[in-house]
Amino acid sequence: MPSNNEKEALGRMTAENASRNTGDGMQLEDTQRALINILDDFDIEKTKVEKANLMLQAKSGELNRANEELQKARNNLEVRVEERTAELQQRTLQLEAANRNLEASNKELESFSYSVSHDLRAPLRTMDGFSLALVEDYGDKLDSQAKGYLQYIRSSSQLMGQLIDDILNLSRITRAEIHLNRVDLSDLAREVVEELKRVQPERKVDFVITPEIKAYGDRGLLKLVFENLLGNAFKFTSKQPVARIEFGFTNCGDEPAYFVRDNGIGFDMTYAHKLFKPFQRLHRPEEFSGTGIGLASVQRIITRLGGRVWAEGEVGKGAIFYFTLRRS
Amino acid sequence: MPERTILLVEDNPADVTLTLRALKRANIANDLVVARDGVKALDYLFCTGHYSSRDINQLPVVVLLDLKLPKIDGIEVLKSLRNNTVTKHLPVVILTSSKEESDVTACYEFNCNSYVRKPVDFNQFAESVKQLGLYWLVLNEAPPQTK
Repeated sequence: MPSNNEKEALGRMTAENASRNTGDGMQLEDTQRALINILDDFDIEKTKVEKANLMLQAKSGELNRANEELQKARNNLEVRVEERTAELQQRTLQLEAANRNLEASNKELESFSYSVSHDLRAPLRTMDGFSLALVEDYGDKLDSQAKGYLQYIRSSSQLMGQLIDDILNLSRITRAEIHLNRVDLSDLAREVVEELKRVQPERKVDFVITPEIKAYGDRGLLKLVFENLLGNAFKFTSKQPVARIEFGFTNCGDEPAYFVRDNGIGFDMTYAHKLFKPFQRLHRPEEFSGTGIGLASVQRIITRLGGRVWAEGEVGKGAIFYFTLRRS
Repeated sequence: MPERTILLVEDNPADVTLTLRALKRANIANDLVVARDGVKALDYLFCTGHYSSRDINQLPVVVLLDLKLPKIDGIEVLKSLRNNTVTKHLPVVILTSSKEESDVTACYEFNCNSYVRKPVDFNQFAESVKQLGLYWLVLNEAPPQTK
């Protein structure tokens, strides 16, 4: 690279040459001037290249740093993926173990139900049968009090038989497989109403069913819900001169609440919290029959279908039972 | 005129007494033979063991079969009956406490003729027995005896 001194020397040479020669000297002068211009240009370009180089170096440094960051991030991600995979595997093992436990419990419950089914009823039959036999065969030797005692034994045995059936049904509901589908609730309600009318054709009841109410659930289990709710309404309106039972839906917040309303004997809201407990009754058996398992079954089913059930009532005015279902 | 017997396979003596009582109440005057377990039931029907001198051609009109029996249970008895040409078509009514779907399915799977659940209430039980008696002894055509 020509230094400033060299350029000065060249400048002096050019000037010396210019004063010494003409003709050839003129050509030489031009050439020398051109050379200096080229060298000047070269200087300028050289400075530009140096600047560009510096910039490239800076960019290269940035790129390297970016690369390092990327590599770090990638390593981080791989570590996290491994950790998360390990977590998920743990959870899967836990869930599988819990599932096996539940299956075992279910199997135990099944065989327990089976035993109950077979073994608890026979002694009850004996108690009932021979209490009656005593009355029939030894009636003349028994006073009315004795006969009354035997009748207590008979009705208790029969009640226990009914309770056993109810408990078994309730436990079956809890264990039953659910098959979810679009269900026409109005249709189901109509089916159940027809069955009720068939069993007691003499009852005069006004059934008002809102049509085309559709929901998502298990048809078999929902039929049980209607059998219980409509059956109860039917039962508890038996003392009304004009019984009226409705099925419809109302909006409860952002979801529909389906309801069965009746104008029957109603209930005291003070005891509303007992309604859905198994075997709890708010009326005496001689007023209305039943073991008190129906609403417990309804609650269990609705809970399994992802909804809630609740009731409102007034003594002498009737009751409304509401339930919601999980949206698909 | 051959005696028309009913074979009751039942291990519970109280149930035996009650069944007899119900049959009497329904004026079913047939001979009731009672086998107290599955082995004795098969001995009776196949004329083996204690019953080796019985005439095998004299089958009961109907068998009332309980499921829960000691030694061989009701379903095993049913299977044995159906596997033998002599008793293949013999009317068998399962008379049991159980309403378990698995039991009902199994009994029909092995070709019982009928499945009746014994109720706790004696009056209901007596009514069931009466209906069974009238149906199987009077209304139903018995299968011809296979020699």
